[in-house]
Amino acid sequence: MRELPVFLGVVIVYVGTGLLNPIFFTPAVLNDILFGVAIVAMLAVAQTFVIVMRHIDLSVGSVVGFTSFLIGDLSSKGFSLIAVLAVALGVGALVGATNGFLVAYLGLPSLVVTLATLYIVRGIFNEVGKGQTIVESMVPRELNWLGLNHLYIFSYLFVIVIVLMVAAGLVMRRARAARDLYAIGSNPQAAKLVGIPVARRIFLAFVATGALSGLAGAVMLARFNSASTQSGLGLELLVIAACVVGGVSIAGGTGSVYGAVLGAVLLQEILLAIGALGIPQFWQLAVNGTLIICAIGLDRYLSTRTKASTIMGYSK
Amino acid sequence: MKSILEIRAATKSFGGVKALNGVNLTLYQGEIHALLGENGAGKSTLLKSLAGVHSLDSGSITLFGKPFVQGSTRASQDQGVAVIYQEPSLFPDLSLAENVFVGRQPQSGGVVDWSRMNSEAEDLFASLGVTFQVSRTARGLSIADQQIVEIAKALSLKAQVIVMDEPTAALSSKEVDRLFNVARTLKSQGCAVVFVSHRLEEVFALCQRTTVMRDGATVGTAPISDLSQAEIIRMMVGREVSELFPKLPAEIGDVVLEVKNLSSSGQFEGVSFDVRKGEIFGIAGLVGSGRSEVVRAIFGIDRYDRGEVLLGGSRVPHSSPSKAMKLGLALVPEDRRLQGLLMPSPISSNTALTVLENLVRRFVIRKKDESALAKTWAEKLQLKYADIESSVERLSGGNQQKVVLAKWLATQPKVLIVDEPTRGIDVGTKSEVHRLLSQMAQDGLSVVIVSSELPEVLGMSDRILVMREGRQVALLDRHQADPEVVIGYATGALVGK
Repeated sequence: MRELPVFLGVVIVYVGTGLLNPIFFTPAVLNDILFGVAIVAMLAVAQTFVIVMRHIDLSVGSVVGFTSFLIGDLSSKGFSLIAVLAVALGVGALVGATNGFLVAYLGLPSLVVTLATLYIVRGIFNEVGKGQTIVESMVPRELNWLGLNHLYIFSYLFVIVIVLMVAAGLVMRRARAARDLYAIGSNPQAAKLVGIPVARRIFLAFVATGALSGLAGAVMLARFNSASTQSGLGLELLVIAACVVGGVSIAGGTGSVYGAVLGAVLLQEILLAIGALGIPQFWQLAVNGTLIICAIGLDRYLSTRTKASTIMGYSK
Repeated sequence: MKSILEIRAATKSFGGVKALNGVNLTLYQGEIHALLGENGAGKSTLLKSLAGVHSLDSGSITLFGKPFVQGSTRASQDQGVAVIYQEPSLFPDLSLAENVFVGRQPQSGGVVDWSRMNSEAEDLFASLGVTFQVSRTARGLSIADQQIVEIAKALSLKAQVIVMDEPTAALSSKEVDRLFNVARTLKSQGCAVVFVSHRLEEVFALCQRTTVMRDGATVGTAPISDLSQAEIIRMMVGREVSELFPKLPAEIGDVVLEVKNLSSSGQFEGVSFDVRKGEIFGIAGLVGSGRSEVVRAIFGIDRYDRGEVLLGGSRVPHSSPSKAMKLGLALVPEDRRLQGLLMPSPISSNTALTVLENLVRRFVIRKKDESALAKTWAEKLQLKYADIESSVERLSGGNQQKVVLAKWLATQPKVLIVDEPTRGIDVGTKSEVHRLLSQMAQDGLSVVIVSSELPEVLGMSDRILVMREGRQVALLDRHQADPEVVIGYATGALVGK
């Protein structure tokens, strides 16, 4: 189980911090963690589709910021919630399709392509949202409500992410097309040879990542009740960090959306733990970095531990 | 017997070079058919046409009396033709079961049914007579096991024609036995198996008929029992190869290399031997017996726990190939593509790589000297090349190996260690490499040769060290060493002191 180390990390940090500062055990803090993690967790779920293919999508920070702005802007102009969500989804899918086309059909490296679309989308966003700020009154009522209310002690935003995660998890495990993504990430050449439509899969995975990231704009708006051209800036790196910490190997082929969400939870938890323990905030970033290195180290260790050996018949 | 597949008058050119030029091949149900030929004879192109990687320019392929759809790997699979490559490319992160069924996972209700997939994979492996834990990932699987997974995949596709491209090149003899049993199982199930190998003993042991190719055309097809090894070789090369392994008598001098009680935990234990000037010293043993590990440790690539290595009386330091080189050791590694050559770089830079220091003037490598050096060696080793500045990728396997040899000979070593010097090289070039090694020994070089090809070790060596499971089990003189004795020690049937 690749998710086990990060799951243990989540438990250890929670219990450890709570023992040092009992405030950490209160429902309010737990809620803070889960409420705060929703955006990154949802983006991490979306990002998993491309990372398992040994690709990456850096444009998600710009996409989520832009769609959170669009949702607020359009609904303040009288569009229905369904309509604005459809726009968010569509904008995300369009960016995803652009990424996917350039990567899958023109064979350009995803790191560079999505770095370019990161800037392009942010540029368009700056132009469209010039000088405007989305304020609470412009946020659709339903989103506002979702951001404020809880199912028992769990923020609705987190509940939405969990539902999405379970759905995506089932798809990744049970749908042939999603299994192809793992095959592509594990050995792209062989994937072609066994007849997997590699280009089409890569294209569609980027569309899915983009669409889901676009939809995450709704979660972002629900959480912050505001949006500006600064929204989502730099978020993509946190998302990738969450995936890597959660065992979604950057080398492709392994990892799950559960791990990605756990990775996001761990990063958020550490952020709050550092506050609760009175440690200077500087350390939060350093700890995140250390975690990433640990995750990659563990990954490498696990993949080299299995040395070449004949299972049966002659062996040393 | 019913014929399954027929290829008639197949041709295929690549930019003016005729890779196939009139190939005829008929495969019958329930036969193991050897496809033989030197490297460059067109075997690979033919196999790739069957695999759907290439389409023929002209000629026909019929499968079960129907025209065979060419040019798509998926179509080849669907029509029941499976090609198992020498080094299969599995998905290291996926389970064995999923590797078998990738892209076609059994489903129920529109979703992948994992338990059915696992049990079907288990059944497939069982039908091949092997037991695998199907839920483990393919990462770290030996090449032999990877081939079995590929064969199971072929079976799951209901393949009727199973092509194995040099499957035994990297296998130990136990693994070869297992593969042979699997091939015979396939045969008894009515498949036609095409078996490509450079090892004629294997062909005689396994196959019923053989087709020999030369220069892109088929030379002939015959039942294997009608042919002798010499006749097959004659068909392959089109000329007599009087002696496959020409060992020249050399004057044996003083001890040059001493290995004393070398041990590395989990790898090998208590290995001691010495090599004399002008001697060819063979190390035999199954794959996994620690042969390569010992020579890697001697050269300083891997560390060792105990023991010492002396060269001309002075100690070769631990873990420092560069110091070993300066003392006069050279190692031609096992895998020339991965460890021996910079594939995209030209012949000249590859040759000069070990002696760059000597070619530097004022911090700059002098290209002219580099080329001159490479040309001198190319001439000495009779390298066939068009341009010394063209990349080694374009050379045949045998000529690539000569470049690796040149690169190490350029260091003017006292002891040259060669690990699998002729793996994947055609018969003609092979005997050339042997002649070269033999000549150099005659000139006073000490050669240590590690090989899984027994005839090679037996033919070349003055003395042979046999290893089994990391220990040396016998040290034989040339006249004592016949195949039965060496295999006996290597497998533990004979027990040494």
